Amino acid sequence: MGKSDFLPRKVYIEKKSLNRALTKRILKNIGRRVPLEIIEDSQDFLEKRKISRDSVKHGKKDLFITSQKGEFVKPCPCTPHTIGCNYYIINLDLNCPLNCTYCILQHYLSDPIITVHTNLDDLWTQLDVFLVKNKERSIRIGTGELGDSLLIDHLTGNSKELISYFNNKPNVIFELKTKTVNIENVLKSEPAPNIVISWSLNSSKIAQSEEQGSPATEERIRAARRVMDKGFPVGFHFDPLILYPGCAKDYRDVVENLLDYIDPKRIAWISLGSLRFPSPLKEIIRERFPETQIIYSEMIKGKDGKLRYFKPLRLDLYKNVVRAIKERGGQRIPLYLCMEGKSIWREVLGWIPRGEEGLEAYLSSPLGKLVV
Amino acid sequence: MKKKQIALKEINLKDEKFRTSYHFSLQKLKLSLEKIGLLHPPLVSLQDNRFILVSGWKRVLACLELSFTAIPVYLTEEKNELQTFLMALYENLGTREFSLMEKAEVLTRLKKFGEDEKEIIRHYLPLLDIPQTLSHLDAYLAFSRFEPEMKRAVHEKSMPFTSLKLLAGFTPQEQKLLLPLLLPLGQNKQKEVLEDLLDISKRKDTAAQKILLSKEIKSIQDTETLTPLQRADKIRSLLREWRYPVFSSWKDSFDSLLRKMKWPREITVNPSPFFEEDNFTVIFSFENQVQFKNSLLKLEELSSRDEFLEIFKLR
Repeated sequence: MGKSDFLPRKVYIEKKSLNRALTKRILKNIGRRVPLEIIEDSQDFLEKRKISRDSVKHGKKDLFITSQKGEFVKPCPCTPHTIGCNYYIINLDLNCPLNCTYCILQHYLSDPIITVHTNLDDLWTQLDVFLVKNKERSIRIGTGELGDSLLIDHLTGNSKELISYFNNKPNVIFELKTKTVNIENVLKSEPAPNIVISWSLNSSKIAQSEEQGSPATEERIRAARRVMDKGFPVGFHFDPLILYPGCAKDYRDVVENLLDYIDPKRIAWISLGSLRFPSPLKEIIRERFPETQIIYSEMIKGKDGKLRYFKPLRLDLYKNVVRAIKERGGQRIPLYLCMEGKSIWREVLGWIPRGEEGLEAYLSSPLGKLVV
Repeated sequence: MKKKQIALKEINLKDEKFRTSYHFSLQKLKLSLEKIGLLHPPLVSLQDNRFILVSGWKRVLACLELSFTAIPVYLTEEKNELQTFLMALYENLGTREFSLMEKAEVLTRLKKFGEDEKEIIRHYLPLLDIPQTLSHLDAYLAFSRFEPEMKRAVHEKSMPFTSLKLLAGFTPQEQKLLLPLLLPLGQNKQKEVLEDLLDISKRKDTAAQKILLSKEIKSIQDTETLTPLQRADKIRSLLREWRYPVFSSWKDSFDSLLRKMKWPREITVNPSPFFEEDNFTVIFSFENQVQFKNSLLKLEELSSRDEFLEIFKLR
C-alpha cells in the first residue's frame, strides 16, 4: 500500500452516483477485480457498518462511492488559543487505507469507510463561488486533511483535475498532501508555481512503527524529488513529531536526508507540529494499537481539551528540527508551527505572525518566490 | 400467565439465573410492605418442580425479612429462558433506571440465553441508554466479570463508565489491590489514579501489581497515622509524580522558589495551567485600603528578589 497498489476489498456505490463520470473512471481503474454492491439507503448502510469490533479497521478496506451532500470547501479546523494559518480544505475523499496509530480520523470521522464524493460538478461550482468571494486575497487550500490526497489517486485521478483547475488561479496556492509515492498522475500534469505537492515526514522509526502501510521516509523524499524535478514546488510537514529515546538524532537525520535530496529554494514551506489529539482518541489508540507507546509520554491537557506534550518537551522537539533545517542550508525556507500559541512561536521561530492574515501572507511566498 | 398464592419456601432463591440486581437497601420497601402489603406480585417460573424467581428479587427478599410465609406471584408458562428473561427486563425497564452494574448483568444474561450479538447491539443497547457499538458491549460484559466485592464497591460508589472501563483493564488481583485505594476518593480522582497507573505500567512495561506493591506505595499504606482518604490521596499524588516527572519537577522548582522567598500564604501566585502560557496570576483579598497597600508593598518587595526572576525561567 502507498505504492499505488491499494485496491478496496469491496466497492459500495450509492445508486445516485452510478452514472457519474468519476464513478465510471474508478470502476474502469479497478476493473473486475473487486466485488460491487449498489446501495439504496446510504444512511442505513453506514449505520450498520458501525456495528463491528474494529469498525475503523474494516472501514479502511472498503470504498464507498457517494455524493457530498454538504459543502466541499471548509476552513481548516484549527484549535482555539493558537495561531491559525487561514487554510481551507476540500473534502473530496474521506478516510484513508493507511493505519497510522495517531490518526485523528479514527475519532473525527463518523462514517468508518473510505469515501469518494463523485459530484465534481458541484465541487467546481462551489470553488468558483468561493474564489470569486475571495478574489482580493491569496488563498491556501488543499485536500489532505480528511484523507491522503494521493493514496487512491490511481483509482480516482482527482489530482489531475484539481491541478488543472487551480493552475490558472494566480491568487490560490493549492496543496496536495500525502504520505505516499503515488505520484504518477501528478507527474503527468502541468506544473505551476501555485501547485504545491507536499509530504508528511517522520523519522524512519516512527514511519515504520506508527504509520503502518506508509512508504518509508526515504521513499517519500525520493518521490518529492521527482515531483520537484518535474517543476512543482514541494512542501513538507514534520507532523506529528513524536518523542522517544533517540528521537532528536533521528529527526536530524531526516532533515539531513531531505535537504540532501531537495533544493531548499524549491521548498514552499515546512510545517512542524507535535503529537496532539483530543482526549477520547487516547482510548481508541489504546484499544486499536495495544503495542504503541506514543500515548504514554508526558502529555498534558491544553485549554482546547487536546492532549499534547508538556511545553518544555515540545520546545526541545521543535528547536531540534528547526536548528537542523537552518544548519543544512534551509535558512530561507518558510517555517510554521501547526496549532501552537504565541509563546512557542516566539521561542522556536523567533517571531509571531500578526494573526492569520500575517501567516497567510508569509506562506503565500510560493506565488512570488518560486520560479518554475 | 396465572396468578397464584405460594409459600415463600417453595421459591429456589439459590437459582439466580434471571437476577440482575444486587446490593440494594430493603428499608423503604419493608416499610411499604408492612403498611399496605404486597400489591405487585413477583414473577416466577416453574422448573424441576421448584419455583424460580424471574422478577421481583427486592420484593421477595423484603418479604422474607418480614417473615411472610406466603405471597401472591405470577407464574409464567414460558419455557424459553431468553423469553422468560425478557419478561423481567421489560417489567423493570418500564419502572426504574438501571445502574451500570445492572446493565452489565442484563447484557451478560442476554448473551448467555442465546441472544444474537448484533441484535443485542441493535435493539437492547439503546433500551439501556448505551451507545450502539461492540466496544461498549464488550466493556459491559467485562464489568460483569468483576469479583463480587468489586461489584459491590462499584455499585455503591456509582463509579462512571470510563473508570470502570479502565478498571476492567487490570487483573482481578490488581483490582483487589486497587479497591482500598479507590474507595475513599471521589470519581475524578479515581479516574486519575486508574489512568496514571495504567499509563505508568504501559510505559515502564511493568505489571500494575508490581507498582502497587512497590515499597513507596507500601510505606504510605503502612502509615497508621493517616486516614484512608489521606493514604489514598498521597498514593494518587505519588502516581501523578511518576506519570508526569518533568512537569512535577517544574512544579517542585516553582514551589521551592516560593518557599525560598517566603512567599506569604495570603497572596496566591500561580503559573498558567501546566506552564503552558507565559503569564502568572496573583490573587489576594483585602477589606480596606491599608490591607490592599500592604499586599502591594509585599509584592513589590518580593519582586526585587533574585529568586523572583528565576520564576520567569519556568515558562
